[in-house]
Amino acid sequence: MLPRQGQAMTAGDPSTALGPILRDVEGARITSTRARRSRVDLPADALPALLELLKGRAGFVHLSAISCVDWMDEGQFELVYHVWSYEMSMMVSAHIRIPREPGVYLSVYDLYHPAGFFERDIHEMYGLYFEGSPDMEKFILTEWDGPPPMRKDFDSEAWVNDHFDWQDYRPDWLKELEEDGGGVAIRPDEQRFSRRK
Amino acid sequence: MKDLPEIPVAVTPRTNPFARVFDEITAFCRSRSMFMLHYCTGCGAIELPPAMTSRFDMERLGIQPMVSPRQADILLITGYVSVKTLKRVILTYEQMASPKYVIGICSCTVNGGMYWQSYATAKKLNDYMPVDMYIAGCMPRPEAVIEGLRGLMERVRTGEASSWEDYYRRYDYYLGNQQRLFGEAWQTPTNVIQEAEHYGLAGPETEGEHTALLRQHQRPLEPLEMRIGLKERV
Repeated sequence: MLPRQGQAMTAGDPSTALGPILRDVEGARITSTRARRSRVDLPADALPALLELLKGRAGFVHLSAISCVDWMDEGQFELVYHVWSYEMSMMVSAHIRIPREPGVYLSVYDLYHPAGFFERDIHEMYGLYFEGSPDMEKFILTEWDGPPPMRKDFDSEAWVNDHFDWQDYRPDWLKELEEDGGGVAIRPDEQRFSRRK
Repeated sequence: MKDLPEIPVAVTPRTNPFARVFDEITAFCRSRSMFMLHYCTGCGAIELPPAMTSRFDMERLGIQPMVSPRQADILLITGYVSVKTLKRVILTYEQMASPKYVIGICSCTVNGGMYWQSYATAKKLNDYMPVDMYIAGCMPRPEAVIEGLRGLMERVRTGEASSWEDYYRRYDYYLGNQQRLFGEAWQTPTNVIQEAEHYGLAGPETEGEHTALLRQHQRPLEPLEMRIGLKERV
C-alpha cells in the first residue's frame, strides 16, 4: 500500500501522536496523514487490537462509521473503520482487506455498540457476515430477496429489466415529429448503459 | 339558412329531465372542493409548500391538504416510489373513498426518473394503481402543479377522470403487477373485489388468476385489540 500524501511513516514514528499506540500493533502503519485525520492500514487480524488500544489509550470512543468497498477484481472486501477521538480531535480510519470468499469477519460490537448497526447494514448490502454481531437480520431492505445489491457483480440494470416495465410513451405530437423525419435521437430503451456499444 | 329544416336533429328521450342537471351540478361541486393527500416520497414535495401557501395559493382553486386518506379525494404522489413505499402507497390508495384521483408528480413516478437503474425504485406507477394525471418535470414548478390540478379539476367536472373505476374493473391486472413485485403472499386489508361489487363495477377482468391466488392465502382481518390504560407489568 503506497502512501497517498507526503512521506510514509512507520508505526513507531515519534512525529505522530499515534506512534506509541501503533508501535504495539503488528503490521499497522500510517499511510497518509493530514491535520486531525490519519489513515492506518493494517492486516485484518490486528484490527480488534488496534481499536482496543485506540479506545483505551487515546480516547477514540466514537465509531462514526464502518464502510465497505468491494474490490471484485482483487477478490477482496475493504473495510474501513472510522473512529474519532474527542480528546485529540482526531479521526483515524483503519483500513483492512479481507478475502471476498467466504466473506466473514469479526464483529467489533463488544468494543463499539453502534457497530451492530453498521455491520448489519454491510451484511445486507454486501453479504459480508460478521461473527459475534448481535443481529444479522434484514435491516433496511426488509422486502428484498435478491442478492446483496451493493456487490459489484450485482447487475442492477438486469434486475430492473426483469422486475419492472417501462412506460410506453409515444404521444401524438412525437409521432407527428417522427413522420417529418425528426423525433427522439436515442430512444430511452436504447440509452441503457449496458446496451451502449 | 335555407337548408336548415333538412339538417337531421337527433332527439334523445329523457325520462327525468333533472337527472343530468343534478349530475352536472354534483360534478361541478366535486371539482371545486378537492381534498388532497400528498404522499411526499421524494424531492417533488419541495414544490408543494409554495403551491399551497400564499404565493400560488392552491386553496383559491378549492384544493386543500387533508390529513387522512379516508377523507381525501386526491392522492398526490410526489417523487420516486421505492418498493417499500409502494406498499404503503397502495394501502393508502385503497383506504380512500371513491371517487378518488391519483396524480403522479415528477419524472420518477412516470418512469423511474433518475432512479431508472435502481433495484429499489418502482418505475411505472400506473402499473400498480390507476393514475389520472402525471405532472412531468424534475421537479415541476408550482405553476405546473397548479396547471395539472386545474386540468384534473376540468376532467372531474366533465366526468372524464374516472380511472378509479379502472382499479375495480381491472383489479386482476393491478394485483398481478403488485404480486410480481411483492411476492405471492401480498394482501391488503381492503377487500377490493367486494368493493367493486358494491360500486357495481365488477367486470370480467375484476377477477382472474391473480385474485384466485390472493383468495388462496387471504387471511381475514382481525380487529385490533383495544385496551384502556397501560398493560400491567409482570
